[in-house]
Amino acid sequence: MKIIAVYSIKGGVGKTATAVNLAYLAAAGGSRTLIWDLDPQAAATFYLRVKPKVKGGGKSLAQGRADLDDLVKATDFAGLDLLPGDFSLRNMDLMLEDAKRPTKQLLRLLRPLAEAYDTVFLDCPPSVSLLSENVFRAADQLLVPTVPTTLSARTLDQLTGFLADHVRASGLEVLPFFSMVNASLPLQAGLMEQVTARYPHMLRTPIPLAADVEYMGVHRLPLPAYAPACPAAQAYQALWAEVLERD
Amino acid sequence: MHERSQDYLLPPGGGLWLAEVLSQGGWRFSEEPPRLASMRLLDSFDWGAYLAGGAIEERLEGGNRWLLWHDLTGDGAVLEQAIDEAPGLARDLPPGPVRGPVLAAVGVRRLLPVVELEVATQALRMLDEEDKTLVRLVVEEYRQGVQALHGTLSSRLRVLPLKGYEAEAGALATWLAEDLGLGPAPRPLVLEALETGERPPGGYSSKLAYRLDPAQRAEAAAREILLGLLATLEANILGTRENLDSEFLHDLRVATRRTRAALSQIPGVLPASVEEDFKARFAWLQQVTGPVRDLDVYLLDFGTYQKSLPRAMGSDLEPLRAFILSHYAEEQERLVDALDSPAMATLLSDWRRTLTEPVAADPEPVNAARPVKELADERIWRMVRRVRKEGRAIDADSPAAEMHELRKSCKKLRYLMEFFQSLYPGQGIGGAIKLLKTLLDNLGSFQDLAVQADHLRDMAARMHADGIADTRALLAMGALVADLLRRQEAAREAFAATFQGFDSEQGRALFRGLFRPRRELDPQLGPGPTPDPQPDLGPVS
Repeated sequence: MKIIAVYSIKGGVGKTATAVNLAYLAAAGGSRTLIWDLDPQAAATFYLRVKPKVKGGGKSLAQGRADLDDLVKATDFAGLDLLPGDFSLRNMDLMLEDAKRPTKQLLRLLRPLAEAYDTVFLDCPPSVSLLSENVFRAADQLLVPTVPTTLSARTLDQLTGFLADHVRASGLEVLPFFSMVNASLPLQAGLMEQVTARYPHMLRTPIPLAADVEYMGVHRLPLPAYAPACPAAQAYQALWAEVLERD
Repeated sequence: MHERSQDYLLPPGGGLWLAEVLSQGGWRFSEEPPRLASMRLLDSFDWGAYLAGGAIEERLEGGNRWLLWHDLTGDGAVLEQAIDEAPGLARDLPPGPVRGPVLAAVGVRRLLPVVELEVATQALRMLDEEDKTLVRLVVEEYRQGVQALHGTLSSRLRVLPLKGYEAEAGALATWLAEDLGLGPAPRPLVLEALETGERPPGGYSSKLAYRLDPAQRAEAAAREILLGLLATLEANILGTRENLDSEFLHDLRVATRRTRAALSQIPGVLPASVEEDFKARFAWLQQVTGPVRDLDVYLLDFGTYQKSLPRAMGSDLEPLRAFILSHYAEEQERLVDALDSPAMATLLSDWRRTLTEPVAADPEPVNAARPVKELADERIWRMVRRVRKEGRAIDADSPAAEMHELRKSCKKLRYLMEFFQSLYPGQGIGGAIKLLKTLLDNLGSFQDLAVQADHLRDMAARMHADGIADTRALLAMGALVADLLRRQEAAREAFAATFQGFDSEQGRALFRGLFRPRRELDPQLGPGPTPDPQPDLGPVS
């Protein structure tokens, strides 16, 4: 079971769209896939038309009273299951603090699912918190959507700095990539060059800023399910191929 | 991921009926476009998949082809993989999740069609108010192909519950049962479909499974045994002719060899002239089927040969494979000519007539009227003693020919025990056969490895003479011969200990308890009337 977290300190960078679209592509490629919506806003859950509700709330999860497998919902796509998000997850940090070994809870919860799934996507809320430390401990790969703006590039530096200083996350592969790229903005090209020079291992496929992606909320479907040929869907496909190559 | 699906049988015209009923049930459904697929159920000639508790399906839909493995014993899991062409030999399947279980079930055999169906599919989704799928449903109607001879298949409704929505599937199931009166299908579709085919599933086996009555006339029991062997032999002619896979010829040859063994080892039940005539004619069949089998064995073992050499030399054997293949077509053609010959046709028809329409012989052959159990005890016991005597005479310096003679005796003994297995307690005779098999395996290695080494030397000479073997090929073949001979020596060294296992006190008691005839225990009765027409008990290779 490979665990891929999609994470950014900053919100609104195309994180949930990335998690949902890549999870869909993983499942379409034959991988038994689970996407865990850890964001209390439950956007991934909304995209996949599942009702946002965690039985017993996030508390029962963090305290180990709920079995993760009992909370899983099948999506409308073969091979793709979802652990729904829930507003109660907003207090996840408080709940985790009460647990023993508070940074290892996510890994503990996921372990029993190793037989059932080949790939697990974690759609993480934007923050640096105890939950994100759990994510860093659990994940094999950390996909970091980065909008080519000065502020976004700065949060990427903050993240890598934090990981270097605070997190015992051996083997975590940090894979930034450019998200919501707008080719018509003159500053972006230069900034992308600088960031690429600083992070030579970053993924090379940029995801364009596109109306097609915005429509995910209207169709409530993964992008490749309703517009597989559009440039943004093709970009997600190429990005996924790149992630697979990094194994 | 799917939870376990449940099939319901629909009344005739069920598909249309269901669409109408569902719309009245107060559920929200969306329909997907109807689909048409063709489905072929495959298995090896000897029902490898079926006997392993599985079924193999090839599915064609919209220009795509899939291979599926249905587990019929466990949780009903279905594995599938995309394939590019119709499957043939199991070992040629491309890598994928289905290849493993298929290969384990059918081994070296070819996948042959059992039954073909056209499947019209209508998929439905039961939806909630946000158009999220809660339960998936599939209505399937089947049109059977020409091979379907037995019965027709009812249409089915398949309910596929989705993880996390079990309650919704449960509510639908209750409605189907209570409001529509639909019952769960008792058996999986593939199993029902297999049974509509021409050949009954599991109906062929090359294994012997006679049920004899101890008091039966020996002559009637012998006919039953020989007719069973004839049926096996005939069942394999077509596959051998077409060379569908190597096991048709193998089974044909085993049936031939067993027939010859029965003729020589159950003597005095047919008129002597009949015995002699058919011994000679089946010897001919054994002989004309030999060359292709030899080539099959080389090809089947080729991978093992290559692996037995250092990796750097493995590919040097390729000219040998090319040489074998270049002779194959020619030998196969000769074999087909023999199978198509008048000699073969009359052999089969004469033999069947002999076995089914016995001619009154005067005087009646000496063993014909004896109870079969008595004759079986006598024949087996005699052969047990012979095996012991021959085996005990072999020491470290004995010539290979003595080992060969012992092997022939062991094979005759094995066939006799297998023919008459049902006359003895299952566990006892099973143990005796197993004990003998260990010895036979040792003797078989010794002999077969020597024959293969000889044959390889001979092929090397011919390849050299024809100018098709370069130095590397000849050296690799030399290394192979050395390896075979080394293994043969190891088998020779293991013989003494292996034979001791067979001839142990425990082994002797087992055979004695099973087979020693009563009259041998009672000196008053004297020896039985079995004639022993020849010192050599006939050709068993």
